[in-house]
Amino acid sequence: MEVTLENLTKKFGNVVGVENLSLDIRESEFVAFLGPSGCGKTTTLLMIAGIYKPTAGAIRFDDRVVNQVPPQDRNVGMVFQSYALYPHMTVFDNLAYPLKLKKVPKREQVERVQRTADAMGIGQLLDRRPGQLSGGQQQRVALGRALVKEPDILLFDEPLSNLDARLRLSTRGEIKQLQKRLGITAIYVTHDQVEAMTMADRIAVINLGHLQAYDTPEDLYDRPKTLFIAGFVGNPPMNFLNVEVRREEGAFKARNHAFALTIPPERGEKAASQSGEVVLGIRPEDISVAPEGELEGEVAVVEPLGRDDLIDVRVGESVLFVLADPHLRIRAGDKVRLHVDTGRVQFFDQKTEQSLLWS
Amino acid sequence: MAGTATTSPTARVFVLSDLVRAVRAGLIAVVALAAGAFLFESVLRPLIASATVDETVTQTLAGLLLLLMPFVGYIASSSTLRPIARTDILRAVLTALIAAGVVHVAVVAAQAAFEVGPFAERASLEMALVEGEGGIIVESMIPGGAAEQAGMQLGDVITGIRRDSVDLAGLLTRVGQSQPDDPLRLRLLRDGEEMQITVRVALATESNVDALLQGVVIALIVAVVALFWPGAWTPFALLILFLVPMVVGYIWLIIATFSYRTQGLLPLDGSGNIGGLTLENWRFLTTNNIAGYQFDIVRITLNSLLIAVAMTVTVLLVSSMAGYALSRMNFPGRRTFLSFTLILHGFPAVTLIIPIFFVLINLANLPGIGQVVGFNTPGGIALVMVAFELPLGVWLMKGFFDNIPWDIERSALIDGASRWRTFRQILLPQIRPGILALGIFAFISGWNAYIIPATYSIGRGTSNLPVFLNSLLGETSPVDWNQVAAVGLFQLAPIVVFFVFAQEYLLNIYAGGTKGTT
Ligand SMILES: Nc1ncnc2c1ncn2[C@@H]1O[C@H](COP(=O)(O)OP(=O)(O)OP(=O)(O)O)[C@@H](O)[C@H]1O
Ligand SMILES: [Mg+2]
Repeated sequence: MEVTLENLTKKFGNVVGVENLSLDIRESEFVAFLGPSGCGKTTTLLMIAGIYKPTAGAIRFDDRVVNQVPPQDRNVGMVFQSYALYPHMTVFDNLAYPLKLKKVPKREQVERVQRTADAMGIGQLLDRRPGQLSGGQQQRVALGRALVKEPDILLFDEPLSNLDARLRLSTRGEIKQLQKRLGITAIYVTHDQVEAMTMADRIAVINLGHLQAYDTPEDLYDRPKTLFIAGFVGNPPMNFLNVEVRREEGAFKARNHAFALTIPPERGEKAASQSGEVVLGIRPEDISVAPEGELEGEVAVVEPLGRDDLIDVRVGESVLFVLADPHLRIRAGDKVRLHVDTGRVQFFDQKTEQSLLWS
Repeated sequence: MAGTATTSPTARVFVLSDLVRAVRAGLIAVVALAAGAFLFESVLRPLIASATVDETVTQTLAGLLLLLMPFVGYIASSSTLRPIARTDILRAVLTALIAAGVVHVAVVAAQAAFEVGPFAERASLEMALVEGEGGIIVESMIPGGAAEQAGMQLGDVITGIRRDSVDLAGLLTRVGQSQPDDPLRLRLLRDGEEMQITVRVALATESNVDALLQGVVIALIVAVVALFWPGAWTPFALLILFLVPMVVGYIWLIIATFSYRTQGLLPLDGSGNIGGLTLENWRFLTTNNIAGYQFDIVRITLNSLLIAVAMTVTVLLVSSMAGYALSRMNFPGRRTFLSFTLILHGFPAVTLIIPIFFVLINLANLPGIGQVVGFNTPGGIALVMVAFELPLGVWLMKGFFDNIPWDIERSALIDGASRWRTFRQILLPQIRPGILALGIFAFISGWNAYIIPATYSIGRGTSNLPVFLNSLLGETSPVDWNQVAAVGLFQLAPIVVFFVFAQEYLLNIYAGGTKGTT
């Protein structure tokens, strides 16, 4: 099933839930909605499910406008953050409820519930009540309930946020595999970047009710179209420096009063087309500590992250986040030289905040 | 000496220092309570009286403290021996008994000194009586006492007070209830001749050796029990203690319905002997006439039932649906509606009696409907009662719905249920405790309804049980309380049955709402 949102808007009185959201989701695609708390992700899902009526705009399933179709006729499955299991029913009844409502014959109900429960690894828990299950088990029941009716669209509202880190990791993989195998169009709401990056075919970044970007994870990470996206995606976040880029003696140089960097021509050319200052962006992992580095700075803070040390280096007036090898035993106050992988730098217009490289 | 004794507990059966400790603890307790009683009786009471406030609380408290005083003393002294009882039972019991005896002597001495307890002055005829063949025989008299002064003689047989015949217990009760100097006109037989003598009640101390001896036994028993009393039982013992008056009340109710009359919990027959059980009080179930008063118990019971059931059903239906709408939907006037229902809930029903009367009269004029819910019909009464019960019901239900997460309802809608089906199959089951509670409240308030049925029903065709019960308390003829008890018990029965079956759910509600939510 293909889902299209056209200028979708939802207002609660004066509060804007979602504004002018347009995007299309292809058949069997796995799309993640990524955004900070309160940005309208749940509101969008509930509109797609038919619980909220849009204030303006349209929702299409394939070619059909479904704005007025009640939820029970949309054939979507949804997994809520709170799981929303029916506390007075056993796991079996929870799973069978959608089938009962579809008037599936009794025998087939039992069969399908058993099959789904086995696939979810909750086959032995069918007699229990939700209150007698662990969080992870409840999450599986919720997933099973959404899947058992073989929906055309699967909606996930932060389904993993109540699980511990390890369980989250394994469940992530299972959900992704399941969706691929069944070929169901899926929308997955999360505010966890890593979840979105690892699971989704495309990610819609939403902020304050507006769509900021809609791209594949690789494009968002390596080819961010706006300053917001560049700063939002990736952890630790990208470093931004104000520089002027000019062509000097056949090479492109990015300078400010503290340093000068040589930029490869294919990026430097686009950046140099802008006169005056531009914003240079570089990710912490693309900077390394090296004796022959182009920049010199003083280490302000060292945060051990385990595999790397995150160090804050003061270069001129700016502070750069750099990932350094812990074996270098860098201490606060040390003077270090930094090497920048200039093949990976980004450039943005200071005013419009649009990328100078990928627009 | 105490040191060596405690290190080798088997060596001695009795250690003086234990006794001293025990007695000291007991005496301190006794003195503390006596001081408390003194404070209430001799300090606070005159103080309050000087403010010209008339009260009996201080006196009651003082009396209570004096009553508890000896027992607290025995318990306090035994408590100091409890550690010893764990290792050396014999030594502990022996010491406890001696200590209790010592404390008891001290208590009795104090009582004698202050003329309280068994030594208090009380109303008396100052003669010793025994129950005999034809009446109460005078065995001895205090020289110069009230009886002798009035001219009583040894061997007189008292048969009655004025015209009422009396037995020993009855006579003593009468004397106990009299004030000093009250005249009691005794009917008696002297040498086969009937005569009457008026004795004036006097105040006297009748120190009673039997009572003192019983006191010693009680002291010893209390001391031993306190020594071995498991601490965990204390809360239960206190609960039972407080429960007893209530249970006694219900026991009396049941006994009274099967007796002609009762004294305490004992049923008595016409001549004052124990016995005289009867089904007479329950005859209202089978006849339609008690002492000339016409009624139809089946009709009355059905009216009660009709009001109660109609109320339960209507209140549950309307409250649950209104509560859902108020909890889940946003519509103009929602908040206003909520505040108005709350105000209505606070409104005393009595103030609306006359306006509602006009409403019912007008309803009664409507063809068809008027026969069902008009004035002087059980339906009309139920309608009014429902109106008064609804604000509470709607608020209660709204609260229960508010506690169900939205997501569960959304989930059901997405699973393919209609809104109505979601309400019935997903939401209602989750507020079952609330529905049960509200249903029980509505049923009980309908079943026990009095003011409204009494006001809006005329004649006996439409009255319910409480109204019938009230009509038994006639103002012109003496009230047959045993009859009233029987009808009351009859009215109580369904409620009791209800509670027995529903108490699990009721407890559930008080324990804090929905069970098994995620
Ligand atoms: N029923 C409602 N009535 C009024 N305002 C609402 C309602 N539902 C959502 N909002 C508002 O709409 C905005 C978007 O809410 P939404 O629940 O979609 O956020 P979200 O992106 O899902 O956030 P989170 O990550 O915290 O779940 C918020 O500002 C919220 O306060
Ligand atoms: Mg949300």
